[in-house]
Amino acid sequence: MIALPLVAVVAVVAALRATFERNTARKLPYVNVLNFAIAASIVLLRDHPLSLVAAAAYFVGSTLEANAIASTYAGARNQ
Amino acid sequence: MLGELLYILAAAIITWLLFVSVDIFFRLPEKGGVSGASAVARDIQAAGGDIAGGNMMGNIVCSPDASAGTLLAACGVYVAGIPGGLIAAALVFIGNRICHDPGYAGTTGALLATFVVYGFTQVGFTATNFIAGTVIAILSIQGISHVHASRLLARLWRVRQ
Repeated sequence: MIALPLVAVVAVVAALRATFERNTARKLPYVNVLNFAIAASIVLLRDHPLSLVAAAAYFVGSTLEANAIASTYAGARNQ
Repeated sequence: MLGELLYILAAAIITWLLFVSVDIFFRLPEKGGVSGASAVARDIQAAGGDIAGGNMMGNIVCSPDASAGTLLAACGVYVAGIPGGLIAAALVFIGNRICHDPGYAGTTGALLATFVVYGFTQVGFTATNFIAGTVIAILSIQGISHVHASRLLARLWRVRQ
């Protein structure tokens, strides 16, 4: 079962790239990859129908946060 | 283990083609759906990328698109077969509405991916191959080189036009 370690490595790589990227807007695609990897690992860690609900709730919530950060960034820059 | 890795790489290619086609079909590269998506696109363009590809990448960041639909559908098929994939599509639909996204790329991607993933599980693949494959596929777009990824997506978008 190599899927979970592979997804974990992707999460770490994405987290590092998001940390070291200087531009705020360009951090967000890296964070997006991190969110994909975390949602995937929730389901891979525990094979249960509720894991799907947890992964979807996590993913939608984190996407909404990224949306809010990006929109705030856009608004602040336009002022 | 090497065999499983090859299955994951094949699943990554299949999911990449699936969600990029659906996103381009639903015109994600045309414009940023919300102001945040446009801001991501502008900064990718400022770094040397293409605005159309940047728009698509910004839209992927700001709302669950076909790639998120593919991931959650693969998760759904893994935990509960086709009904799980359909539940994932419903969750993506709700997620799109929460994120102020008027489109149906995510829901369509999830529905298509449910049947694609289930089909491939009948010929030797496992749903976990597709879960890891989707993460690799999104890494290739959002996490390697924004400049090159946006140019590639823009080239595909021009073919669509």
